[in-house]
Amino acid sequence: MRIDSTHRPWFWATLTALAALTGSYILYGAMSGGERSGGSVPGLLYGIAGYGLMIYAALLGVRKKVPVWRVGRAQTWMRGHLWLGFLTLPLILFHCGFVWKGPLASVLMILLFATVGSGVLGAALQHFIPSMMTRAVPLETIYEEIPHIRRQLCEEADALAGSIAGTENEDSFLVELEPDARAGFLAVYRNSIRSALAPEIGRKEKRTVENFENVFDSLRKMLPVTAHPMLAELESICEEERQLRLQKRVYLWLHGWLLVHVPLSLALIVLGAIHAVMALRY
Amino acid sequence: MSCRCMPHAQIFCEGAGNLMNPDGTITLTIDGQAVTVDPGTTVFDAARMAGIAIPVLCHQQNERPVGVCRVCCVDTGERTLTAACTRAAQDGMNVITNSDRVRSARHTLIELLMADHPSPCARQSQSHDCELEGLAAAEKITGVRYPKKKTSRGKDNSSFVIQVDHDACILCDRCVRGCNEIRHNDVLGRMGKGYTSAIAFDLNLPMGNSSCVSCGECMVSCPTGALTNKGVVDTVLPGDAVDTEVLLRLPYFQEISGTFLNLNRNAVRFRNFKAGDVICREGEYGSTAFYIVKGKASVHINTPMAHVSTKGGATGFFSKLTSYLTSDSDSPRNADESRSVPKPLAMLEAGDLFGEMTCMSLYPRSATIVAADDCVMIEMLRNVLDIMLRNKTLRSRLDSSYRKRALEDHLRSVPLFSSLSGEFIDRLRDRVELLRFNRNEVICRQGDPVDRFYLVRIGFVKITESHPGGDLVLAYLGKGDYFGEIGLLQGGLRTATVTALDHVELVSIDVGDFHAMLELFPDIRHGLQAIGDSRLRQNRGHRTAAESVPLNEFLDQGLMEANSLLLLDLEKCTRCDACVRACSDAHDGVTRLIREGLRYQNYLVATSCRQCRDPLCMVGCPVGSIRRRETLEVVIEDWCIGCGLCAENCPYGNISMHPFPSPASVVEQGSITKAVMQYKATSCDLCMDHAEPSCVYACPHDAAHRVDPNEFFRLSELR
Repeated sequence: MRIDSTHRPWFWATLTALAALTGSYILYGAMSGGERSGGSVPGLLYGIAGYGLMIYAALLGVRKKVPVWRVGRAQTWMRGHLWLGFLTLPLILFHCGFVWKGPLASVLMILLFATVGSGVLGAALQHFIPSMMTRAVPLETIYEEIPHIRRQLCEEADALAGSIAGTENEDSFLVELEPDARAGFLAVYRNSIRSALAPEIGRKEKRTVENFENVFDSLRKMLPVTAHPMLAELESICEEERQLRLQKRVYLWLHGWLLVHVPLSLALIVLGAIHAVMALRY
Repeated sequence: MSCRCMPHAQIFCEGAGNLMNPDGTITLTIDGQAVTVDPGTTVFDAARMAGIAIPVLCHQQNERPVGVCRVCCVDTGERTLTAACTRAAQDGMNVITNSDRVRSARHTLIELLMADHPSPCARQSQSHDCELEGLAAAEKITGVRYPKKKTSRGKDNSSFVIQVDHDACILCDRCVRGCNEIRHNDVLGRMGKGYTSAIAFDLNLPMGNSSCVSCGECMVSCPTGALTNKGVVDTVLPGDAVDTEVLLRLPYFQEISGTFLNLNRNAVRFRNFKAGDVICREGEYGSTAFYIVKGKASVHINTPMAHVSTKGGATGFFSKLTSYLTSDSDSPRNADESRSVPKPLAMLEAGDLFGEMTCMSLYPRSATIVAADDCVMIEMLRNVLDIMLRNKTLRSRLDSSYRKRALEDHLRSVPLFSSLSGEFIDRLRDRVELLRFNRNEVICRQGDPVDRFYLVRIGFVKITESHPGGDLVLAYLGKGDYFGEIGLLQGGLRTATVTALDHVELVSIDVGDFHAMLELFPDIRHGLQAIGDSRLRQNRGHRTAAESVPLNEFLDQGLMEANSLLLLDLEKCTRCDACVRACSDAHDGVTRLIREGLRYQNYLVATSCRQCRDPLCMVGCPVGSIRRRETLEVVIEDWCIGCGLCAENCPYGNISMHPFPSPASVVEQGSITKAVMQYKATSCDLCMDHAEPSCVYACPHDAAHRVDPNEFFRLSELR
């Protein structure tokens, strides 16, 4: 989600809440003579509020599962998730008085920091990557369609290459070529272009993908002008392929962090519940 | 009595009269009546205009005459009788339509046709309006002297919508012409010779397996029970069902095929209104027309627009939270219903038809109609009205009614012409021409001499300017707009080409009346001059701006046509597809949105219905299932027959065809039973049951927006 000026009310509300909580924490510290404990009434209240906000933040996942339910706009839920979720960190810190002892509490704090940290990273990625992707991948398509489209691009490239220079077994082609030029083109196509269009490519092919422009410049010098329109088409296919690869990579960045954030959040919720039961019972 | 009529579009036999009256017309005598017509008019049309009915089977007014049934034979004094539908009238011709010789020939022809006709045929059994059996009854033919045909040409039951009984077919070819010349579907033709001659679908395939789109035109055209409906259509139009026989007794419905009315029995409903009830409201979208059976209704215009309530309506915790934390735009759905109605401008009475302009053009209602006393009305969908309007007599009645009732309102509703005096409007009343154009028909071309000024009465026109690189769209004009003033004021040639985008009706004012108007009303002259100058400036601006890619793209993508665009802000969208999942969840697993489409600046114009101002998808729907409701939504009703015409017509690919279980979902083929899926069209309905479309509501990143083009422009400018 892009964090822009429309977030201002949330920002100020969060900042105000943080200031109020900090004030109350200072007051609580002053009144308790510096003896702060998670088991005291204010400490418990901080803990309950912090855990409540964690639950609310986790409910975003449930909300997304039922997009049609009219339980508030998903956008509002997301903003709440971002800003109120961020408040859990100071609340839990106030709850424990910035001190965590014992293995469970330590694990919980690590989890909390990791969850908030991954969340902030995710927010930053989702803030910057969409605009970058929009500029860098104008031929973007639906993510699930990428393998299918790439297969089609390979087929189209083969057909175009066949039109330019025929194939090794068949020499019927549309452009009049010198035998050397034909052999040269087929070699470049087979070794550089076609291998770079394959589904899985190595480092060398990746370099080729990034340098398609140079490959085609050399091909244009090698082939007569009559072949240039078809070369341009082949180049546009390679460009689309390059963009789709980039889209795939960027898409993984855009959503891959959730693979860290979501399990951490779930672990935090579960362990937080165990911590609450253990602390209250024992 | 003497009357004039326009020539038929095409005449197929030689002999148009070469002796003419000084004004270029010809005069003939029909059954003792002198009739003056334009050269090229058929004897049949001339007789019709003189009020003389000539029976016919193979001809109907909206089709090319072919003269195959010969039932319309008349005596023109020649050696043989001639078919009136194809015979051109000649000056001085003396036509007799009811002599003993003519009646005897007609009687024999009908008797011969009846000999091969399975009486009563399906149509006669269904709606009692088989034209052949009707003629036979009129001729008092009870028994047939000729032997019946022994071999059967068979029945075709393969279509889910239409049943074909080849034995009842009289080979008049009305269905063939309807399919090929009216609908341009090119599915129907003829096959076989002699007794085995029959109509055929594609290369003689069963109808259900052919490329037939089930538009129903053949069935509507058929004079007998050869093509009848199977009654698969259902509807949700409010009101009570109307019996077909009752409908056929009403003046405007008499010319419609009973089979068609029977098929569309639920698209024509009785509505009862109490005195004071608002029947339709100015500014609202609608897709129906009304025929007053009993009672009176008053016409009101300039109803104050809806007052939109924006805040305080939220209920529930999350809604209130949302309302508090976000600054939502106004929702037109919250429109205040308690709107006042101004003083009536005119009264409508029994026998009047209203709402036809909205019904045909799907444009907002131009007036509020209130029941003056308890009324009984017939409400009908566009497909029924479309068939009614093919009747020339009815059309001329509607035109006359427009001249009498609506021309003044129309002119006065255009601010520029509001100062026209009553006397001048009276002068125009009989002098303006009411013109109709079909989709894509060119109204006038760039470079043509200017001879008329046009006011758009119904529909949309596109103004384009030709350039070496292609046509540049300068503007789209709708009802209340006008064009032609630039050429008339400059006294030169047309500066642009004007094309009809849909069914368009225009009021055309001739150059003499136009200049008279300018002389008598200087304020109108100044107003038109200012508007002409402004348009020329705009056009120059368009030409300059067209060089820039965004505007070109904007025009190419047809975004200015849209009422409501689903835009995805690509700088905010994380490509999570929550919008698509929400759409799918909201529509029983069938998404009506694809997150693909053309880009305009940083926005993706998603593949989802744009609720176009001029919804081309609605043009030609054979059962009227795609229509615009009182609010903005273009909806596809459940009685869609899956012909796919709307999907084909949508220029943006925003209508998809999806298979659904058919109402008759199980078909037995001998001992084999199999489920049948029926395709239906689906498109975005804006989730009309909710205050906000699900895709927008479910977008967690504030990336999905349903906006109108103005908002779109504004957003673009802000960037």
